[in-house]
Amino acid sequence: MEFLGFERPNGSVGIRNYVAVISSGRCANEMAATIADAVPGAVPVIHTHVCVRFKDDNEKALRVITGIGSSPNVAAAIVVGVGCENPSPATIAGEIAKSKKPVEVLTMMESDGFQSFMDQGFSIARRMVAEASRMQRKPFPLSYLTLGVKCGGSSAVSGIAGNAVTGKVLDRLIAEGGTAIFSETTEVIGAEHLLAKRAVNEEVARRLREMVDRQEAIIKASGEDIRGTQPTRGNIAEGLTTIEDKSLGAMAKSGTSPLQGVLEYGEKPPGKGLYFMDSTAMTSELISSEAAAGAHIHIYNVGGGISSSFRCPPGWMGEIPFIPQIAVVSRQSKPRDSQEKDFFDIYADTIVEGTESVDEVADRFFNEVVAVASGKLTKREMRKGYREPIVLYTTGPIV
Amino acid sequence: MKRAIRINPDDNAATALNDIEAGETISLVSKSGPIGEMTAKQAVPFGHKLAVTDIKKGDKILKYGEVIGLATQQISKGDYVHTHNVESALLPGAKEAK
Repeated sequence: MEFLGFERPNGSVGIRNYVAVISSGRCANEMAATIADAVPGAVPVIHTHVCVRFKDDNEKALRVITGIGSSPNVAAAIVVGVGCENPSPATIAGEIAKSKKPVEVLTMMESDGFQSFMDQGFSIARRMVAEASRMQRKPFPLSYLTLGVKCGGSSAVSGIAGNAVTGKVLDRLIAEGGTAIFSETTEVIGAEHLLAKRAVNEEVARRLREMVDRQEAIIKASGEDIRGTQPTRGNIAEGLTTIEDKSLGAMAKSGTSPLQGVLEYGEKPPGKGLYFMDSTAMTSELISSEAAAGAHIHIYNVGGGISSSFRCPPGWMGEIPFIPQIAVVSRQSKPRDSQEKDFFDIYADTIVEGTESVDEVADRFFNEVVAVASGKLTKREMRKGYREPIVLYTTGPIV
Repeated sequence: MKRAIRINPDDNAATALNDIEAGETISLVSKSGPIGEMTAKQAVPFGHKLAVTDIKKGDKILKYGEVIGLATQQISKGDYVHTHNVESALLPGAKEAK
């Protein structure tokens, strides 16, 4: 099966064709956003990285910012900075340039002042957009695609509706030779060997257990012990009986494919197939890490209820404008309000209602993934408005 | 008719897709469609589980084709399956940890 995508100089294939205006640090967010907003075809990448962090967090930030800039969905990038930040705008641009796409750097320190800086930014962005607009989509096999996935606002039926169909979609893409990344290390605590069982070899299983232990140590250092407190009283009231029941429902979104490897936050997978990435359950931190790893599309599974009914669910905060998000809902509100009706791309609540089977929804969902990869806009892409900076995962102190 | 879904053909517990009353005949469905009818012996709330086979004390409870726990007592087909008759195989006694 094929989709229509944009071929990139490094051999990857994009599904969107934007010019990214990337802030090198929080000080430059406004400049990056203003330049991008003035040029159709350009989008801002603004985020929460600040200078007052230590080595490990700086390295994670560099990996994720440059990974996002290297996304195949980006035709060209401008790194916008003050000039004094760490990592430097030149370092970020140098890393993105390894993906062979056009990259330019613009710093306040090397400009003749704010207005001249902005004018230069508009000019570069327009030149890059003009060049990108000449590119045409061509057919490519689905093996070029990478999906990122996350569930949120989970309900008792997430595991049998939204996560079940997502799992089938991932299995199908992987069978076509594609790649999928899932995450949320904390969800695996207490059930790590259920996932380790799917590892392709003992080394992958061992690395997974180490990653889970490391996350548990971070949690314990804050004075909390979450092992043995799962499922929560609320989960039990919803029908989840044991930690296995809860974790398997969450892991259902990863399908049944063998686990090829585990990735550090924002690390690119070394091959095709299914990968687990160390990350938090915080939506923006997770989306940014999966995008940095090369995800073309992000699947966001909402359980239902209140989390599907407010204007700006966490899944749409701190998102990345050039990574289309396919939103899935497992259970509709009663009565479904107009907002909810217009927010989701895949209604998996039909499984609960009895009007469609898991297989039928998975078929329609897979076709939607291929359509979105070929250029169809998602519901979220058709709404402008309130945005927040991408949140980057940090584990060290801010000083 | 009210419904419950057996996610994997090996599962001995199905998830209720409606609030089921004791004594009701329900439709059991798989991922692909309906697979038969059965009677719920006990009330099972939406999202909770019921046994689709007889399960002996100590037997594995299967959902998603995986072990979600062990039966702490004899469970009959159609019985409500939850913390009162199942405990984690990974973290036994975890349900008392609240």
